[in-house]
Amino acid sequence: MKQKIRVTSLLIIAFVILILGMAVGSVFVTPADSLSIVWHKLAGTAVPATIKATDVSIIWNLRLPRALLAFVVGAALSVAGAVMQSVLKNPLASSYTLGVSSGASLGAALVILGGISIPLLKMFTLPILGFAFGLGTILLSITIASRLDKGLENNTIILTGMVISLFTNAVVTLVSALSREHIQQLLYWQMGSFSLKDWKTVFILLPITVVGILIIMHYNRELDMLTFGEEQAKSMGVNTVRVKWILIVIAAAITGSAISFVGVIGFVDLVAPHIVRKIFGSRHRLVIPMSAILGGAFMVACDLAARTVIPKQDLPVGAVTAIIGAPFFGYVYFSRRKRDA
Amino acid sequence: MLSARNINVSYGSTQVVFDVSFDVMNNANLCVLGPNGCGKTTLLKAVAGILPHGGTVAIDDRDTRTMKRREVSLKIALMSQSQGVYFSYSVFDAVMMGRYLHIKDGILGSPSGHDRDFVAECLRSVGLLDVAKKEISQLSGGQLQRVFFARTLAQEPQIILLDEPTNHLDMKYQIELIEYLREWSSHDNHSVIGVLHDINLAMRLSENMLILKEGRIAASGVAGAQVTTELLRDVYGVDVVGFMRESLGKWEGISAQ
Repeated sequence: MKQKIRVTSLLIIAFVILILGMAVGSVFVTPADSLSIVWHKLAGTAVPATIKATDVSIIWNLRLPRALLAFVVGAALSVAGAVMQSVLKNPLASSYTLGVSSGASLGAALVILGGISIPLLKMFTLPILGFAFGLGTILLSITIASRLDKGLENNTIILTGMVISLFTNAVVTLVSALSREHIQQLLYWQMGSFSLKDWKTVFILLPITVVGILIIMHYNRELDMLTFGEEQAKSMGVNTVRVKWILIVIAAAITGSAISFVGVIGFVDLVAPHIVRKIFGSRHRLVIPMSAILGGAFMVACDLAARTVIPKQDLPVGAVTAIIGAPFFGYVYFSRRKRDA
Repeated sequence: MLSARNINVSYGSTQVVFDVSFDVMNNANLCVLGPNGCGKTTLLKAVAGILPHGGTVAIDDRDTRTMKRREVSLKIALMSQSQGVYFSYSVFDAVMMGRYLHIKDGILGSPSGHDRDFVAECLRSVGLLDVAKKEISQLSGGQLQRVFFARTLAQEPQIILLDEPTNHLDMKYQIELIEYLREWSSHDNHSVIGVLHDINLAMRLSENMLILKEGRIAASGVAGAQVTTELLRDVYGVDVVGFMRESLGKWEGISAQ
């Protein structure tokens, strides 16, 4: 019963944040007008004449797709973070700390700077290469870490991931330094940004993310069991090798494709699942969908801050999430160490 | 009936279990004994199909290598030594995980009334029904051990493998656990294979013993016949039976006062 109240509250908060994400900005459109615009556009009817045409355009062409994109990306990153923490039994695991994000950004840098477009894939070239590079990096981290530490149960994997992540980021910086005309774009992209994105990006990322999250939801009980370790899950009947692979690949897919469009955004994937577990408990039946909603709403709020804190200037959203997330990372790391000692 | 033939297990290039064979009949139990590092845990994990191994394990004449993971787990449940809890669940939810193979798969798969009753019954058996809603991170080591035992029971296996199940338990619960296992294994073709540190508890579980030394069988058979006083002294490097007699003598001395 309490759980239902908590879920409802989170849904309401997320909805309010999404509306504020549309209403607030350099031009303020009242929440009622914003909703009315969305409603009429969706229903295909004419927007009331009392609402200015510029407002309609701002809401429908700029802010709604931007807010939705932020929501989808936040959801994808948080769910992937929750999956990685459970599969690796490590509370510090996330796409960011395991190098998936920086790997994906390298893939995307090559596409954008090299002007690569694989025939047949066309508009999916970017997300697919982002996914491939992201998956490649996490596999590299896991391979190196498992050489050093078989159980993968302590922070070796995080350290390896961070090293690979920093290295890959350096490669991205070098690549971008070689093509000066793109340097501004890349700078933004290494800290993430939702500016200059339209409906097209939403239409590509939304289905990838929704399908990915549904597949992960399918394995919610296996995720619960994996938090007790691979051996225990296996003895209870889980085909651990297969399940682990599916989960890691899907997590890398939704992260990699999101990152390839909006750049590297860290810490949401680490922070959101932890907050969700504190509120809703550890069962993945709730952890996965609630991470998606909380992570999505959090990202919309961060983007709102990124574009309104300094008037007429878009800050990189990754900077906002990092300002909140980095201290949190330290908190989890040190409180964990205290308990282990 | 479970029969293991020529089990060999290696970690990388180091072999730790050599050519171990044994049978456990239905409604019979087996204790695996031996000093630290003799390969007991490894043998148990190999039999449960969790570690890759050479040789064959057959349940009711069916080779486990021809069975899928879920089929093996419907027959054999392994309770390993408890490790840390990384993410906390309620006692009830943790035990429900043992029902994994009995619940319909996927997003919509949820426990039936029967599953809930079964879990409640398992919790009652280990005396934890009144803390079913508590978080496992708040439990003592002994309570957590009992949660894991309840989860093993919830799996409804035919054969239970236990690795040091009495660790962290108070003596009362140690004895209760062994009594419970004896009762459990007396019906429905059940059997128990237990790795036990405490030879006294082992004797209570079963007189059938498998004694390992450095990964090889040192003796196998019934206590007193094949497993002799001299053999135990040789394997453990200490006069085990003499020590127990001495301890018993002391206790008798105390209670006679």
